[in-house]
Amino acid sequence: MTASVLEFSPENTRPFLQEVMEQSGQMLTACYQCRKCAAGCTVGDETGSFTPNILIRAIVLGDRETALNNELIWKCVSCYTCGTRCPNDIQTARITETLKKMAKKAHVQPVLPKVAAFHDAFVESGMRWGRLNEMEFMGVYELKNALREAKTKNYETVVKEFKTQAELGLAMLKLKRLHFGFLFSKGRGEIKALYRKNRYKQALKAKRG
Amino acid sequence: MEIAYYPGCSLQQSSSLYDHQTRMIFSRLGVELKEIEDWNCCGATSAGKVDDFLAVVMPARNIGIAESAGFTEMVIPCSACYSRTIVAQKRMQDNPELRDEINSGLTAKIKGSIRISTIMEVFLNHVSPDLIKQKLTHKFRGLKPVCYYGCMQTRFPYNVPASDNVENPQAMETLLKLFGIRALDWNYKTYCCGASAAVNDPDTALNLMAKIMKEAAARGANCFVTTCPMCQMNLDANQEAFCKKHDIKERLPVYFITELAGAAFGISPEDMQVDRHFIDSMTLLKELEQNEHKDK
Ligand code: SF4
Ligand code: SF4
Repeated sequence: MTASVLEFSPENTRPFLQEVMEQSGQMLTACYQCRKCAAGCTVGDETGSFTPNILIRAIVLGDRETALNNELIWKCVSCYTCGTRCPNDIQTARITETLKKMAKKAHVQPVLPKVAAFHDAFVESGMRWGRLNEMEFMGVYELKNALREAKTKNYETVVKEFKTQAELGLAMLKLKRLHFGFLFSKGRGEIKALYRKNRYKQALKAKRG
Repeated sequence: MEIAYYPGCSLQQSSSLYDHQTRMIFSRLGVELKEIEDWNCCGATSAGKVDDFLAVVMPARNIGIAESAGFTEMVIPCSACYSRTIVAQKRMQDNPELRDEINSGLTAKIKGSIRISTIMEVFLNHVSPDLIKQKLTHKFRGLKPVCYYGCMQTRFPYNVPASDNVENPQAMETLLKLFGIRALDWNYKTYCCGASAAVNDPDTALNLMAKIMKEAAARGANCFVTTCPMCQMNLDANQEAFCKKHDIKERLPVYFITELAGAAFGISPEDMQVDRHFIDSMTLLKELEQNEHKDK
């Protein structure tokens, strides 16, 4: 007997679907593929027609590989148009946000590594000082990018990126839109402590299953 | 009257002109903005993409500070900061356990439900139209703005009631009408400018911005008006780039609503630091001012 083309095995499908639904807080099984989200998606023209409804379909079918490896989860700009228009109250943006986190945990290389690096650097900087220092943050972010590109000997990209950023920086300097003082908040310790405590709690919970 | 004020990181750095204008305009209108003590970064959209708990804790601490200082309302001009803070508040209201967990580590505890407002809500709820009319010195009949709201003022990833119509907000149009300025109707008022994609995925972001620009130009607009520092920066700093990429001839100033308010009240563009825009934004205001004098 030849294998069928579509293989649907509930044993494998359900755990992934369940995991995404739980972490994103979205009732994915309510989606009836009306494509209202797709019609409104800001980045619909940029993702090679991989629209929010297709992402949901992939998850419902348990296709973990496709769900973690597609342009939409990295190009999604969190504009929340999809969720505002969905007749079933599904916020696809919260699913793309969840899948970014799952990809990171599973060490899946992001389709757009710069996007992942940006958000990591942003949060690290905001946590480190309690306030975001734009110049420090951009420096760390660009350095991380340059290191990654250098690993694959992609020096041309590095030079181009530095040139673009230097031009912008110069323009901003002229307009006095660069800030040279340093911002910080004394309360950052409170946030860090709460964050650590919660991470610990989550880890315990995961261990207990 | 006194309102707590959360400027957020960008209003102290690349968009400090907006902070300057906001304080100046509201003090003229008798609304005292009191910056809350030792506020911290709200985490913007990034926190939600990295850690869900962090996305609530960061803005939560600021809410606690404002409430502990006795304020009943806090205004947040930056749309991203506003959105993150109001969402965090809603999530804690819906989940008392989460609120208690956060309160356990905060010096300034979160109590109830301080009102979190956009700058437009403060204009429309706390300043009487009569007072605004009294302050007007200029009419600017030649101004043809399109009001650009972006994403974060009316659309939320949680069930937060929007302060304006979700798809067709009207707050800026209403205020401009009080100034005697008629905004043009258009389709892209809540379309996304790409936000941080301008930095981390510029190919995508420039395409999005070009769509906004094309529609504004096609409607005959001679400027944009916005309340969001991120939208302002994106459309202003990248305008040369996205116009070149998409063969657009026009260049349009991207004004903060505070700049048009100031202009209507007779404050000079220099005093408002309008000369800190990337696309020349002084000429249009100056021309209008002169034409205004000729009219008299
Ligand atoms: S709008 Fe909602 S129900 Fe319709 S396809 Fe999109 S997610 Fe599914
Ligand atoms: S939030 Fe993301 S998925 Fe939803 S419409 Fe915007 S870009 Fe598309």
